[in-house]
Amino acid sequence: MSTPVLETQGITMRFGGLVAVNNFSLRMGATDLVGVIGPNGAGKTTIFNMITGIYTPTEGRVFLDGKDITELRPAHITQSGICRTFQNIRLFNDLSVLDNIRLAGHFRVDYSLMASIFRTKKFHQEEDRLVAEADKILDIFGLKGKKEMLAKNLPYGEQRRLEIARALATKPKVLLLDEPAAGMNPKETADLTKLIRWVRDEFKIAILLIEHDMSLVMNVCEQIHCVDYGQLIASGGPKDIQSNPKVIEAYLGADAVAEIK
Amino acid sequence: MDYLIYLTIQSGIFIILAVSLNLINGICGQFSLGHAGFWAVGAYVGAAYSVFFALPVPDFVNLLIGCGLGFSAAAIAGLAIGVPCLRLRGDYLAIATLGFGEIIRIIIMNMDSVGGPRGFTGIPAWSNFFWVYLFVAITIIFVVNLLRGTHGRAIISIREDEIAAESMGIYTFKYKVLAFVIGAGFAGVAGVLFAHTTQFIHPNSFNFMWSVIILLMIILGGLGSVTGSVVGAIILSLLPEVLRFFGETVSEWRMVIYSVLLICLMLWRPSGIFGKHELDIKKLFGMKKGDA
Amino acid sequence: MSEEMAYFISDFFTYLLNGIAQGSIYALIALGYTMVYGIIKLINFAHGEFYMIGAFTGYYLIINGVPLYIALPAAMLGSGLIAVIVERLVYRPIRYAGRIPALITALGTSLFFQYLGQGTVGADPKAFPTAFENTTYQVGDVFISKIQIVIFVVTMTLMAGLWFVVNHTKLGKAMRATSFNMNAAELMGINTNFIISFTFFIGSALAGAAGVLVGMYYNTVEPMMGLIPGLKAFIAAVLGGIGIIPGAVLGGLTLGIAENMVVGFWISTYRDAVAFAILIIILLVKPAGLLGKNRKEKV
Repeated sequence: MSTPVLETQGITMRFGGLVAVNNFSLRMGATDLVGVIGPNGAGKTTIFNMITGIYTPTEGRVFLDGKDITELRPAHITQSGICRTFQNIRLFNDLSVLDNIRLAGHFRVDYSLMASIFRTKKFHQEEDRLVAEADKILDIFGLKGKKEMLAKNLPYGEQRRLEIARALATKPKVLLLDEPAAGMNPKETADLTKLIRWVRDEFKIAILLIEHDMSLVMNVCEQIHCVDYGQLIASGGPKDIQSNPKVIEAYLGADAVAEIK
Repeated sequence: MDYLIYLTIQSGIFIILAVSLNLINGICGQFSLGHAGFWAVGAYVGAAYSVFFALPVPDFVNLLIGCGLGFSAAAIAGLAIGVPCLRLRGDYLAIATLGFGEIIRIIIMNMDSVGGPRGFTGIPAWSNFFWVYLFVAITIIFVVNLLRGTHGRAIISIREDEIAAESMGIYTFKYKVLAFVIGAGFAGVAGVLFAHTTQFIHPNSFNFMWSVIILLMIILGGLGSVTGSVVGAIILSLLPEVLRFFGETVSEWRMVIYSVLLICLMLWRPSGIFGKHELDIKKLFGMKKGDA
Repeated sequence: MSEEMAYFISDFFTYLLNGIAQGSIYALIALGYTMVYGIIKLINFAHGEFYMIGAFTGYYLIINGVPLYIALPAAMLGSGLIAVIVERLVYRPIRYAGRIPALITALGTSLFFQYLGQGTVGADPKAFPTAFENTTYQVGDVFISKIQIVIFVVTMTLMAGLWFVVNHTKLGKAMRATSFNMNAAELMGINTNFIISFTFFIGSALAGAAGVLVGMYYNTVEPMMGLIPGLKAFIAAVLGGIGIIPGAVLGGLTLGIAENMVVGFWISTYRDAVAFAILIIILLVKPAGLLGKNRKEKV
């Protein structure tokens, strides 16, 4: 692999005496579709938090396109090209769908504060551009008709879609999805599976996802890492992971492994 | 008639104070309890300019210069206080800003050059209905335009979900400080106008009780609504007059009534009159489709 | 030893003793703040008013001839009961509404009592009667008054009592459990509502005691007397580490001594500024307080 778009080198997270994540390493190419699985509490979201700057790893480094981003603040990391969604959806609830998307474009906006006060030509130009770009992405995600609705009033499935759309609107190189299928029924999950693959193909970005829904993971991901108690216990393609005894043991316990044997 | 004009001017000054505090507390969601301190900074800087340094130009020009100085001084104070305090979490931020508000008052009280505990007299009466309401309009237009642009949306997003805002590439600390400094600056302008209306200012005119009254205005009106701040300011500026109708004793119990009002609002209607939303005329007359 | 040095030492000890007396009072009030914060994460702005209510209860009892050894516990009881009523009526409904609404409610309650006091008993200070003969003792060049000794003894006794209850009784264990994790405590069969009310009761009773002691020390009481000491006691609690009981004592004594040193050796008009300066410094340098731990929270 030439310079991986995202690389973590032995990142470890300690909270006082508790080791939440131990020595996690990962390399992703520019259009890879990778999944992270593991039982609850295994440290998956902590890994995301370390990559996106919410936590600074106790040990180890994180690189984006070869640049060390380990100690950068979350906003800086997003501006550099990594964006994430959250396990418990974090939309701007009392803002409209349109505003949620427009905020993703904030850091690329090219007018000053005073320009917005005096409503200069530049202000109007940039605002029109923001709306046009937002419309495009809302259209793709089927939310254009609801763009004036407050985010909190959307049905759950659409809220999840909006969060993904919003993250994409930051034009990232790497998209991190934290349990995107949580709370979805099988049909919605199937649609999501298609959507994620389509996003990768269309936007040509790398996608890293945390997920519990195995149908999504096995159908979407090209590579899967399994963690348990903060430790990486297996990596490989979907077929390898499915039959890996350590993975089965982590999810179902040692007895299940014995049974399968 | 004179008294009615005086009341209107006072309402105007409180509208500026309420709208500016709302930018910090309601729109950005950062709980500041020291707003009267910035009001004081503006008042004293403006007054000191007019009394000691006024240029030989028409009165209104001096007033405008005073307002500029008041805004700047209060904004600088806002920067100095905001940068250390805005790192703190909610209730600690509240206490820290309360502390700084009091520190400002104590410092002014110890400055004999501007009268100290005797107060500052002899401020020329350069302000009037027109100038006060000009600045009311400027403040409201500034804030409304700010909120319709990307910088304003960034400030709002901090209130909505700070972690999500940060993950959208918004430097939340920078925007918190921005909201704080702008809010402080406009409070300073209100101070200059206040000083040139009452012609006498004293550190105790800007004590913690006043920070609470301004806070009550925006809570009543709706934290996060500019319309709400205007309405809340008007109601609470006029309320003492209304109470006066009911006699001396009721008037004396004004603060007791306010405190009960504050508690009741928190228990039963924390969103105030307008909540986070503005009065949308078109929606009001059913001409625009909105959320059910 | 030069004369200057001798004066300095006796001055130093005088200020130190004043500081310990003042600091003990701050500590008593701070304990209530820290206990309430520790259990429901509320900064009870109205705590200074419970102190004031204790002072006034003591005042009315003593001017009517009630001896101190009855008036003091009665004042503590009065403060405690008012606090429990406030908690039940106002704070409990607000408990899950969020930190800021709770803070605003506490603010409103504080103002309510201050101005209610002003409206009913008048804003002018009342002369607190001397409950006993205040003799002054002299050790070398240092003076210590009987009232200072009484303050110290009373506060030490009350704090010892508190320490015993919190660390050696089942009730205290329940209090500690509730402050660590209210839900878990509830699941363990602890009546957390009762524990919270009890915490308010004890915290305010201590503040009430402080009120009576202050009335005797400074000979005046007035309805706004809770504002500044309340704020300073809060700062003392933050200094020591809010939510940590020994922290309140440490913070209170530190603040009292620092204040008196500044007033004695420097400028007396900066007395109140000392507290604010300490607040700013501690919030910027170590917000968890002197005895606090910097815990990284899981997002």
